[in-house]
Amino acid sequence: MSHTPKKVFVEGPISPQFVADSIAKHQSKTSIGAHNIFLGQIRADEKEGGQVTGIEYTAYPEMAESVFHQIREAAFGKFELTCMHIYHSLGVVPTGEISLFVFVSSPHRRATFEALEFIVEEIKAKVPIFGKELIGEKGEFAWKENR
Amino acid sequence: MTLSILYFGMIAEATGQPLETWTSLDALTVGDLKNDILKKYPVLRDRKFQVAVNQQILDDAFPIPPSAEVALLPPFAGG
Repeated sequence: MSHTPKKVFVEGPISPQFVADSIAKHQSKTSIGAHNIFLGQIRADEKEGGQVTGIEYTAYPEMAESVFHQIREAAFGKFELTCMHIYHSLGVVPTGEISLFVFVSSPHRRATFEALEFIVEEIKAKVPIFGKELIGEKGEFAWKENR
Repeated sequence: MTLSILYFGMIAEATGQPLETWTSLDALTVGDLKNDILKKYPVLRDRKFQVAVNQQILDDAFPIPPSAEVALLPPFAGG
C-alpha cells in the first residue's frame, strides 16, 4: 500500500484548536473505533543562564519530508491503521506550547497504542530536525539533542 | 567533481554559512570529504554530525557520486 506524501511542517506552535478540528474531521469515518494522539510540548527546563523560554526548530526539509513519508509507510505496513496524521513545528515554539502532533486511528485500540509509540520514536531518531533551546532573556541558547 | 554542501543547526553556526559549493579534483569518499571539511573548519572537530549524501545517511567508506548534495547533520531534536 502506498500513500502520497503529506505536508508535515507547520510554522510556529500547533494550536489546541487545530488538534480539536482534526479529531472532528474523523466523525464521518465510521470504521474507526479508536484514536490515539501524541502531543509534544516544550518544557521550561532550567539551564545555566536561565530557564528555557522556547525552542526554535529548523530542518533539512526535503530529507525530513522523505523520512516522514518512510515512517508513515512503515507504520501502515506494521499496524492496522485507518489513518495517520503527523504535524511538526518549524520556527519558534514557546514553552508550554505544542511542537509535535501525531494522530493515529484504527478499528481497534491496540494498533493505535503500538503505532503511536513506533511513530514517535522513529521521528525522534530519524528525522533531520534541529532545535535551538532559547534560554533566559539575554539571547542565550543551547542546541537540543534527542536521547 | 563539484558538490553542494549544506550545513544545519550547530554545524551551520560553526561554519558561518548554510551552504557552499565544494570542488575537488579527486573522487571522494564520505570519509575523505569529512577530512577535507574538518581541515577547512577545525571548529567542527569537537561537534557531532552525520553525513547525508543525496538525503541518505552514509558511512565513511561510501564513494560520493559527482554533483551530489551533501548535508552535515548535527544531532536530531525533533519532537
